[in-house]
Amino acid sequence: MSLPLRPRRMAVHGALLLYTLIAIGPILLILLNAFKTRRAIFSDPLGFPDGRSFTLIGFDSVLEKSEFGLYFLNSLTVTVGSLALVVVFGAMAAWALTEYRFRGNTLLALYLAIGIMVPIRLGSVSILRMMVEFDLVNTLTALVLVYVAQGLPLAILILGEFMQQIPRDLRDAARCDGVSEYRIFFSIILPLVRQAIATVAVFTMVPIWNDLWFPLILAPGDGKQTVTLGVQQFIGQYVTDWNAVLASLTLAIAPILVLYVLFSRHLVRGLTAGAVK
Amino acid sequence: MADVSLKSIRKSYGATEILHGIDLEVKDGEFVVFVGPSGCGKSTLLRIIAGLESITAGDLFIAGRRVNDVPPAARKIAMVFQSYALYPHMTVYKNMAFGLKFARTDRAEADRRVRRAAEILKLTPYLDRKPRDLSGGQRQRVAIGRAIVRNPSVFLFDEPLSNLDAALRVNTRVEIAKLHRELNATTIYVTHDQVEAMTLATKIVVMNQGRIEQVGSPLELYHAPRNLFVAGFIGSPRMNFVKGRVTAVTPEGVRVAHACGETLVAADAGHAGVGDTVTLGIRPEHMSEGEAEGLRLKGQVEAVEHLGEATYLYMKLTDGTDVVVRAPGDTAAVAGASLTIGASERSVHLFDAEGLALPRRGEAHPPRAAVA
Amino acid sequence: MSTIAATEEMAEDLAGRRGWPLHIVVFLAPAVLVYSLFSIYPLIDTIRLSLFTTDEAGLYHFVGLDNFGRLIGDPTWSGPFWNAFRNNLVFFAIHMVVQNGIGLGLAMLLSLPDLAGRNLYRTLIFLPTMLSVVIIGFIWQLMLSPLWGVAETFLGFFGLGGYFGPWLGQETTALATISLISVWQFIGIPMMLIYAALLNIPDDLVDAATVDGAGPFHVFWQVKLPLIVPTLGIVSILTFVANFNAFDLIYAVKGALAGPNFSTDILGTFFYRTFFGYQLQVGNPTMGATVATMMLMIILVGVLIYLFGVQRRLQRHTF
Repeated sequence: MSLPLRPRRMAVHGALLLYTLIAIGPILLILLNAFKTRRAIFSDPLGFPDGRSFTLIGFDSVLEKSEFGLYFLNSLTVTVGSLALVVVFGAMAAWALTEYRFRGNTLLALYLAIGIMVPIRLGSVSILRMMVEFDLVNTLTALVLVYVAQGLPLAILILGEFMQQIPRDLRDAARCDGVSEYRIFFSIILPLVRQAIATVAVFTMVPIWNDLWFPLILAPGDGKQTVTLGVQQFIGQYVTDWNAVLASLTLAIAPILVLYVLFSRHLVRGLTAGAVK
Repeated sequence: MADVSLKSIRKSYGATEILHGIDLEVKDGEFVVFVGPSGCGKSTLLRIIAGLESITAGDLFIAGRRVNDVPPAARKIAMVFQSYALYPHMTVYKNMAFGLKFARTDRAEADRRVRRAAEILKLTPYLDRKPRDLSGGQRQRVAIGRAIVRNPSVFLFDEPLSNLDAALRVNTRVEIAKLHRELNATTIYVTHDQVEAMTLATKIVVMNQGRIEQVGSPLELYHAPRNLFVAGFIGSPRMNFVKGRVTAVTPEGVRVAHACGETLVAADAGHAGVGDTVTLGIRPEHMSEGEAEGLRLKGQVEAVEHLGEATYLYMKLTDGTDVVVRAPGDTAAVAGASLTIGASERSVHLFDAEGLALPRRGEAHPPRAAVA
Repeated sequence: MSTIAATEEMAEDLAGRRGWPLHIVVFLAPAVLVYSLFSIYPLIDTIRLSLFTTDEAGLYHFVGLDNFGRLIGDPTWSGPFWNAFRNNLVFFAIHMVVQNGIGLGLAMLLSLPDLAGRNLYRTLIFLPTMLSVVIIGFIWQLMLSPLWGVAETFLGFFGLGGYFGPWLGQETTALATISLISVWQFIGIPMMLIYAALLNIPDDLVDAATVDGAGPFHVFWQVKLPLIVPTLGIVSILTFVANFNAFDLIYAVKGALAGPNFSTDILGTFFYRTFFGYQLQVGNPTMGATVATMMLMIILVGVLIYLFGVQRRLQRHTF
């Protein structure tokens, strides 16, 4: 019983290790070669950059030929702006739906849940028409509005589930003390669901940062490109400049990588808590 | 036929040792209860016997066979889990028959056994239901049924009653006792509830911090606890402890000075000498209001609990020791009153500075102490 | 019954929580407004637009279901549409089998008791899921490029160098290759969800099965797997919705034309081309809306089949 355990464990680790390599190998390969000369990229793609092959020429040309800093700022603005609104609006709505009983409560909850299954992308034709009408094409505002609408359903669902677990007594005690409904929400409930907000933040942020569709349709020019679209356009233009292509990919990966290292625990907790039911 | 024998069993997780060498003999047909506070290692020990935990050192024999490396299913044991561990996706019938499938029992025989177990446990009408459609008590019985059908030599129970409500717990306790009488199989039962231990066991094993404190019949443990831990653990409300000092060792016993005077305790001094600190132990039910021959204590009543047939008086002695007295139901004592209480010297236990009991005179038979 | 209802109503009246007090409106308004305006309204408006057509002057004319008729029946539209639909089915099938299969396997391994390095494996395997599909597309395009030859070199290590081909460029292999790239990226999602479900199975249950004589293989097939079927259902429907709504990867790797010869064209890219036009073809908003509505209906049918056909029969197990 104890004998075959060890080899079996080794096989398990072998399988996991192999898949881990498959998962991160390609990413490492890109990061590695972004710092190498063109010659080294082709002659020794799997080697680490050394004194002779190390170069930052790719990054220089990306920063020179594209407005990467601007794209980055655009992505940051859109992501942070959307995220803030999703969290605040989502928490408020989730609270109203879980705490108060009013006519049409269930119906409204269902209505707000449609967006979880039905991708807002399919409404793009009308969204573009609306944005043209409001004169919002090629603005970051257009993106923020769409992303808020896109992020709300899941945020309301997750936050609602957490809010349900807040003991009733806590709010009733506050009500007995004459605290207003707004104060109860902002100073008691919001701090209590910090954990859930972190989860919602990760779930909301990543798809927004990574999205190509809406930047392509709503804000493809005028220096309003996000990183994802910017990289896509840049690579389309400089396909043959391997150094620049690899460097631009590296620049696009880096912020997500940093964020992931910082927040992976929240993300995993959110996923494993069965938040996505 | 199915004795269980544990020879200096040790269990460690990494550097921490959970069980520090357990020696125990369980005879065929015995109902042995492991009891102790949470974290004492009793569940780990049970899981070791089941084969769900490996043994770090020592030997385990079931029916004379060394089973250290034998997988659970081949040990001829069956286990009932605290959470019942019923397979939620299977019917009651399938839950009970699941193990038989792996034991290569033929279909007709398996069917016969399941139906018989269902009959014994009054589960026949529920055989086609899923566990979620059953009440807590019924689920509990399915869990027991799953154990019965395996015809095990040894039944293992891991706190099987702790998820039931109080009334059902008493009921099921009686059922389990009855079942043991009928099947007469060796049973090892883990609980933290000393009432369950006292009522079910033919032999109780009191455990604390990975060691066995004492093994004995329920009444042995009640009347002759080997040390302060067992004395405090068995009996409810727990035994009162009063600090004292030995003033004299006489042929009649040991004289002990305490906060409220001096008392002669009918016990052998052993290696205890004059001047040693000792602890007097008196059970609440052996104390009574008023003067008594033997031990006399004075204090103030702080709270009174009327239970009807008895009244518990919560007192503070003059030196600050808390004491509980089980007084008759119609006692006139009220909170705030000063009271003298007593106990016969034969009902007083004496423990030395290390907490070990000093042998009481006439220990061969449990003393027929005056029960108030 | 009625007395209970009556007391409840009284209690609500006492708490002043019936109807629509101002604070409820304040809490709900921002979310409902933004969501309705930029999500629900566009979806409905898209369905409405699918019933119209535009003339040269840009005026809209109501045509009923004609657009759908053209999409399904008129060869200029139905050819590409059915091609995209078929490709999308293949795309979905590959995800169901490979992505969810490997995801299940990885989750199984990760959920083994006392596994050292569990968190590290989990975090690293999930990493690609976090990156933009566009980035992933370019990374694999580079890796598989015969120019760079990394993949060929790598296969060479195993003596398989001869099998290498320009997989992304061949009509026969492009769709499968793209699908596998997508599988590679998103495998973390089924893995995590199934892993969480497996962790939720109480240890006692596995112990009980062990005492019953079930080995690891039987424990998995007869105890664990039946208990995570509801999660597998959720994973399937999430895969379905994501796959029939996919676009980014193919656009990034193959462009709007989804070459070679539309062999990687799926509904998402077909929708984009119809809506925006490509090369000499001008965009057609109403036909775009029609394609979007078709996609919406396909997704809806899938979700409804799941909700009413599958989910109802799967009972969730509470432990």
